[in-house]
Amino acid sequence: MGNLINEALSMGWMAMALLVGLLIYFQVSISDPVAKKRATFKTFIGIIAAFLMFVAIANYKNNFYGENRLLPVSLVMITATTFMLALYFTNLGALLKIGGFMFFVAAFLSGYGNWLPQVEGGFPPKEEKLDFSSMTPQQLADEGEKIIFGGIGQNKVQGAIGKGQCPLCHAFHQGMLGERAPNLIGLPERAGKERLEDPKYSKGKPAAREYAQKEAFPGSGTAENGQEYIAESHACPSCYVVAGYGVKGTNDKESPMPAIHKPPISLSLPELAAVDTWLYVREGREAPSYEEIIKSYEKFIPEADRPKQQEEKAAGPASALLADGSEPVDQIFAKAQCVSCHTIPGIPGATGTIGPKLEEGTNAPLRIKDKDYKGSAKSTPEYIMESIVDPSAYVVKPFPDNTMPKVFGQKLSAGALKKIVDYLSQVKAGAPPPKIS
Amino acid sequence: MGLVTRKKLFSIMALCAMVGLLLLPIVMSLPSPAAGEEAPAADAAKKDGDKVEKGRDVYYKTEGIVVGAPAPKTTDGPKDYPRYNFESRVLLWFANQQHLYYGSFVLAVPIFCMVIEFMGVVTKDKALAKRYDQLAYDFIKISLTAYSLTAILGGILIFTFLTLYPAFFGYLSSIFRPVMHIYALMFVAESGTLYIYYYGWDKMKEGFLKWIHLSMSVILNVIGTLLMFLANSWIGFMMSPAGVDEQGRFLGNIWHVLHTALWNPLNVHRILGNMAFGGGVVAAYAAYKFLAAKTDEDRAHYDWMGYIAMALGVAFLIPLPFAGYWLMREVYAYRQQMGITLMGGLLAWLFIIQATMIGILFLSTNYYLWQAMGRMRGAEKYQRYIKYLVFLLACGFLVFITPHTMVMTPAELKAMGGQQHPVLGNYGVMSAKNGGINVIITTTVLSFVWYMRGNKVSTVSWAKFGNIFMGVFFACAYVNIIWLAIYGYYIPANVRVGLSVPQVATTLSCLFFMFALNSVMMKGAKQMGPIEWGKISARSQYALIMLATAFTWMMGLMGYIRSSVRLFWHVNEIMRDNSPWAYTHTVGFAANMISFNVLFFWISILFVFWLGSLTAKKVPVEAKAGVPGSAPQPAGSH
Repeated sequence: MGNLINEALSMGWMAMALLVGLLIYFQVSISDPVAKKRATFKTFIGIIAAFLMFVAIANYKNNFYGENRLLPVSLVMITATTFMLALYFTNLGALLKIGGFMFFVAAFLSGYGNWLPQVEGGFPPKEEKLDFSSMTPQQLADEGEKIIFGGIGQNKVQGAIGKGQCPLCHAFHQGMLGERAPNLIGLPERAGKERLEDPKYSKGKPAAREYAQKEAFPGSGTAENGQEYIAESHACPSCYVVAGYGVKGTNDKESPMPAIHKPPISLSLPELAAVDTWLYVREGREAPSYEEIIKSYEKFIPEADRPKQQEEKAAGPASALLADGSEPVDQIFAKAQCVSCHTIPGIPGATGTIGPKLEEGTNAPLRIKDKDYKGSAKSTPEYIMESIVDPSAYVVKPFPDNTMPKVFGQKLSAGALKKIVDYLSQVKAGAPPPKIS
Repeated sequence: MGLVTRKKLFSIMALCAMVGLLLLPIVMSLPSPAAGEEAPAADAAKKDGDKVEKGRDVYYKTEGIVVGAPAPKTTDGPKDYPRYNFESRVLLWFANQQHLYYGSFVLAVPIFCMVIEFMGVVTKDKALAKRYDQLAYDFIKISLTAYSLTAILGGILIFTFLTLYPAFFGYLSSIFRPVMHIYALMFVAESGTLYIYYYGWDKMKEGFLKWIHLSMSVILNVIGTLLMFLANSWIGFMMSPAGVDEQGRFLGNIWHVLHTALWNPLNVHRILGNMAFGGGVVAAYAAYKFLAAKTDEDRAHYDWMGYIAMALGVAFLIPLPFAGYWLMREVYAYRQQMGITLMGGLLAWLFIIQATMIGILFLSTNYYLWQAMGRMRGAEKYQRYIKYLVFLLACGFLVFITPHTMVMTPAELKAMGGQQHPVLGNYGVMSAKNGGINVIITTTVLSFVWYMRGNKVSTVSWAKFGNIFMGVFFACAYVNIIWLAIYGYYIPANVRVGLSVPQVATTLSCLFFMFALNSVMMKGAKQMGPIEWGKISARSQYALIMLATAFTWMMGLMGYIRSSVRLFWHVNEIMRDNSPWAYTHTVGFAANMISFNVLFFWISILFVFWLGSLTAKKVPVEAKAGVPGSAPQPAGSH
């Protein structure tokens, strides 16, 4: 209290001195005793009120940053002071009362704000290169979510996709469509049990496997636990193919999934650790430690094949492009993963059968004329562009709707789209494929 | 005759000058993007051949030639963040908020002026027309002193930016260079127009000249609104940048930079907000004059003024939540994470405060209306029903502020056993809260209807039927809203969200149909007694002051929320805030700061009002003599 009074005086001594000066002046200048008495009394009240006001202000100032929740009391004190003053200074009565009332409203609201639980947003994460190895599992999982979906909290957003491009084929939630690849819900549980125990997996006996690849690299062996299974399926998708998800026509011997540590996706080992951690954390499971995950990948990816973590941004923003149009058209098809679903004559590796064969030089004019066609394209290039940007505009029978992602309009540059359209419009059934440019 | 023609000629010239002032910035700016931005870039491109660097717009995804420097990467230190021995962010917060308060006030008041002057021109009742005209003049007079303060505060704001955040402001002004110049020129145009409008008031008060004067107010408001749009584009850019590439390099298309994802919702929300706020400030002014009035005449005039200002303010308060809803939807569409931070994350408690404030605003409005019925003879018959309205309002309010989920620490989460409170979590569902606020708004509509028919008895032949119909309509509305609120508990969350549509539709149909029907019924109604302006309780005036203070506080709160949702970005995802103040303050600190800003604003504006009353005192006799028999003239030295 003593402190407060000291501070109030040091803050308001000039105003107070002025009032005292006024008091003395009135003694000298007013001759009428009644008027003199009244003036003296009012000035005296003024001095007291001013003093109280400065105490209140000093209290407000002292506690501006503090945890003291009594701060609004200051404002109430000011309210009381102004109402007291209004009694004596009737000319300014309305102003004082209004001001006092406003202080009271503000005090109430300040008090309310201070009464609520106090949440403070911490400092932002450091901008330096992300060091995945020292993160908590939650941070690591957040980074993983960014890699998969392009941002934190994006995992249920239709079309959200990050650098890892996983949602192009995989679904991550119950009931969501994942026709090209297994739905990954429950994977941590499934990996260690069902998958490893599947006789076709041939745990410990890679030579007995009937798949396109027997081992990730000669001598790598097979997975011994759930995490190693996840690592192996990232590094060597064709070492084991879940029934029904193989490249069509290979009798599930070959997987359409690219090896994740190789172009075009090229995730580094720390990034893969983040992705895997998210898979565990989002199901409320305890994830293996960062080191354990890294070790599981080292088992299946030889040192020479491990990509370096990118310098600038570990997880590209949601807007990152799949292809910018400077690449040759076959690479665009590969980077956008068109090849995993479509067969495209003349493009190596484009043997997918989940979507229709892309012979648009022949097909497009027929489809535009189809009576079921509801789109707005008038020419072959327009039809191809429409099918990429808005796949549901016309769905080729008997393929289901909503299988093809609707994000390519945003994920491919105008140049890349043009190259695709140019190429596909030249592909005709029965004719030799056009040259790759 | 000759004199009148000359006056006409001058006034038309003045109008043309205003239009010229309005177009000046646009004309001047036209060559600037073309010649100043793209052309040199293109020339340079030709000269350097293949050195042209292209960038991709972060929002529009279009490609453009890079013409700007990347956003600076700041570091904590005196170079990028020079400072006094105080938190720079708080100083900026203060300067910004004060400028915004005054800015929205001086933008809102001319819109009122325009509306009221128009009402005066079209009203057939001569005495009433005179009163409207005087009121409009009164309004613009208040805003004139505030206008210069706005400019001063704008200067202070810019200096605060330049001295405390030079790197950030440098970047922002490099992007908005042409826009900032247009802004400054628009300000010149605004001042010119305002002065001609104000000083020409008496010279152009009759016939054709009055219409010209009225059209000047339209131009004044067009300029003002454009000014605000330009200023909004800066904050829009900070929240949801566009027109630059990932490094923040300007790509030559200034329209992209202006027209960001949140620009238009912000524009609409701010216009409505300014109007509600302006109404609140003018109502507080009237309340002050009422409480300080010495004569019955004065009291009558300011009672009336307070009522009009309040009605205008509330008229814009009602659509405000819908504009807010649109803004929020756009925020979610732009970045879901941003929406979650606002409504369900770090800033969620502030929305609880906002819900409380909305409740307070509507309660004050209703209280004022009930008090205002006291000045009508014949309105006594409604008094005994008011307690039921209080009950409805209180119930609606309590439901409205019940939270569903809150941000919690892990310990709290564990203690509670889940994300949701075992009791409140079940009750605080969206459809119930929507039910709460819709009950509040519908009750406010009912209070208004009662107020409007307070001293009147309908004389139309179908009056009885009309009354029964209105009663049934309101009853059905309440039943529908409340039933849907309860029904929401029995259906899944994603279906529940859709219930807000029928609930809001019910409220809006009450608002429009009941007002329309009521005014038809009250046309030519029998008057039970006059409205005795000035015979209102002093308490009612405190309700107006409460309304004004709460508006101000809420504006500060929502502005803080909008600004702090960027978290540690100066420009979202483009330029990071690396100052020591890149964290988000606690709720309590923010509340104290907002209180401080609100009180500072009110102390300063009360001072402005007091200054205004000084000039009025100078010539009371003249003014009174000017219009005998009409309402008292708050005269100026015009």
